[in-house]
Amino acid sequence: MSLTDLRDELTARLGRDGLVTDPAHLRTYECDALTGYRVVPALVALPRDAAEVAAAVAACAKHRVPFVARGAGTGLSGGALPVADGVVISLQRLRRVVEVDPVDRRATVEPGVTNLDISRAAAKYGLYYSPDPSSQQVCTIGGNVAENSGGAHCLKYGFTVNHILAVDVVLPDGTATRLGGDAPHQAGFDLLGAFVGTEGTLGIVTSVVVRLLHTPATVRTLVANFDSTKEAGDAVTAVIAAGIVPAAIEMMDNLAIQAVNAAVDAGFDPDTAAALIVELDGPADEVEARFADLTRLCAKATGVTIARDAEHRAKIWQGRKAAFAAVGRLSPNYFVQDGVVPRTRLGEALTRIAEMGDEAGIQVANVFHAGDGNLHPLVLYSEERGEHERAEALSTAIAELCVELGGSLSGEHGIGTDKACSMPRMFSADDLDTMRRLRAAFDPEGLCNPGKVFPTPRLCGERPGPYRPHPLEAAGVIERL
Amino acid sequence: MRPVSLAELRDAVRDTDGTLLVMGAGTAEGWAGAPDPTDHVLETTGLTGVIAYNPADMTVAVRAGTPLTTLQQELADAGQRICLDPARTEATIGGLVATADSGPLRHAYGGPRDLLIGVTVVLADGTVARSGGHVIKNVAGYDLGKLLCGSFGTLGVIAEVVLRAHPLPPASRTVSILCDAAEAVTHTGLVLEARLEPAALEWCDGELLALYEGVESSVERRATATPGGTTLSVADAEAAWRRVTAVSDRDLVVRCGTRPSQLAVVAKHATSMTSSAAVGVHTLGVTDVDGLRAEFPQVTVLRSPPGIQAWGEPHAAVPLMRAVKQRFDPDGRLGPGRYRPWF
Repeated sequence: MSLTDLRDELTARLGRDGLVTDPAHLRTYECDALTGYRVVPALVALPRDAAEVAAAVAACAKHRVPFVARGAGTGLSGGALPVADGVVISLQRLRRVVEVDPVDRRATVEPGVTNLDISRAAAKYGLYYSPDPSSQQVCTIGGNVAENSGGAHCLKYGFTVNHILAVDVVLPDGTATRLGGDAPHQAGFDLLGAFVGTEGTLGIVTSVVVRLLHTPATVRTLVANFDSTKEAGDAVTAVIAAGIVPAAIEMMDNLAIQAVNAAVDAGFDPDTAAALIVELDGPADEVEARFADLTRLCAKATGVTIARDAEHRAKIWQGRKAAFAAVGRLSPNYFVQDGVVPRTRLGEALTRIAEMGDEAGIQVANVFHAGDGNLHPLVLYSEERGEHERAEALSTAIAELCVELGGSLSGEHGIGTDKACSMPRMFSADDLDTMRRLRAAFDPEGLCNPGKVFPTPRLCGERPGPYRPHPLEAAGVIERL
Repeated sequence: MRPVSLAELRDAVRDTDGTLLVMGAGTAEGWAGAPDPTDHVLETTGLTGVIAYNPADMTVAVRAGTPLTTLQQELADAGQRICLDPARTEATIGGLVATADSGPLRHAYGGPRDLLIGVTVVLADGTVARSGGHVIKNVAGYDLGKLLCGSFGTLGVIAEVVLRAHPLPPASRTVSILCDAAEAVTHTGLVLEARLEPAALEWCDGELLALYEGVESSVERRATATPGGTTLSVADAEAAWRRVTAVSDRDLVVRCGTRPSQLAVVAKHATSMTSSAAVGVHTLGVTDVDGLRAEFPQVTVLRSPPGIQAWGEPHAAVPLMRAVKQRFDPDGRLGPGRYRPWF
């Protein structure tokens, strides 16, 4: 491996303005939105098109230098953390909307296009791109593909993987291929489905074909206040059990509401213990009938506000989507967790998290996708007061609690660097080895975003965490052979 | 071999030598290339039954040899269903995943890959591996379940799957719009633009069928509001949907994915055809597979008489498929002959 040779080769191929080599400038790439992990890369490549991405990857492969793809750097799990002595390949210059096809209801875009810009480009046809991560104004579709991003409205409409028809990929040896096709039917294995959500470890996407949906005929949104997060959680369970599939059900606890109210005038009741945002969409009469059921199921609510119009609804969502950033007003530092629990165990999970926070002497705010059990506990701490380690331990314990309750370490933020060491809590060595077989098929040299997703001795210490039986195993639901 | 537990299945794979053909109900035996004779046939029909079902979570874990109809009956008692309606109702859940099969509900719900949230698989060397889990939203680790969709028993033996369930709709209506293949594209656009949200929109041999599901008042109104449509009686609707499944009974049947607007071009190759018109997934009887493949590369041969080559020219991702096969089944134990000539 020779970085000097690689730099010369990349300069020749991408030009001087296609490469970042200045140490101060390189530092701006040292982390993504998980800022606790920082590594300055040796070089940053700024390709302009798919051919330049392929050339950059081929050069890295030739010199056996690891590389990490990067979109907007909004990832919350350290998935775009650079590798020391490695290259970051930024997709920020690939930001063309290549085609919006209203007849076949799809758009072809480059990976650096933001999530929201796809919907903006489709809006004149009454179409939109459905998955809506809270960072959708800035996060890129390439990053969404890497992380299989979710969002508030994925409960009814599904996640990124359900909305991608095809991707052009530069494989880790520099060759280009296409996964997927013109329709969901693929001749062969579902390599597209297997690829989406692999956190940039199998290749770099240079073009994405997304499905577009017609905007719904009617949307109705309510905010219901509850005396406790448990009562709000019970209401979520009741709504789901009644056979209603809302477009979204979100929950915020009092701490999160306080933060949001300080940042955005969204009109949330500052005194309520918990608030649910529930949205139904679809044909008008369907929505009206279900909305009546919904208000009945929120009988224990201490107050219900129904969005008056589109503007009011937008305000509510602006408040919800600003929650992570707003929490910065409550606390100088915080960790965001992303664990998932079965929907029927929401109340239990919230109670346990509150207890764990009390024990650690650390505040935890909750704002999350209640409908699919995807928690986002915000662990609030102060670096200055030396709380970092305690907060990090609490944050990890919360993620592992979700596994213990029969859920998952991550619903949408990814494993990345952040949760790689917790993977043995959820998966056996055989599970992880089998996943590594897929990785090896795509990237036998292990150059593409190494050190992410899978626990490594370097990251996690020589010994992985002790094996503990999965709760479903303890309950006899699954067997460990 | 007919194991009745995960442990027996694992032992059956690990403690035998030679090639293995994985077989569920046998309803798709010839799909994707007739398998060569193997040293063993591994039947999954002994691996049946629900492992865990909590209706309030709307997820169900089931052994792979369970027939879809059996599972649907069990879920119906709790007012739920799996939104998967393939023509082969007697097929096993594992078989449906391995063949990536689906029916008209793919319009609203996708296929097995979109409903599968967890999987347990036994690899050719006896390794038992899980991915996913029991929650609908989960990005921890690679999604091996999706990889197995369309693997036709060549990557591993699917032992258990966890699926997302949906509520059974309280009411439904089927509307018929008589139209040719070219008009079907226009009518599809009209139904979608009117925001009528059909659960299925299927064109079958001269008739576009729109299925509405939801509350009684809404499905009735949407049926009436369908441009150019006639609401079918219950009996007529059942007959119409039977015509859709009957396309799969032809001697030579393929499934093909195209841009939805290509429906009429695909139809020119068909002796009989049913298409999810907004999705671009077509199931058709053909006489000349190569003619269809020359125009549309994404073709899978389902039923076929002997002598038909199941796969055409290798597409761009076939080298990757081979690399995956090499890592998962380096000795080529599982399903030899399938995917010929790609493997």
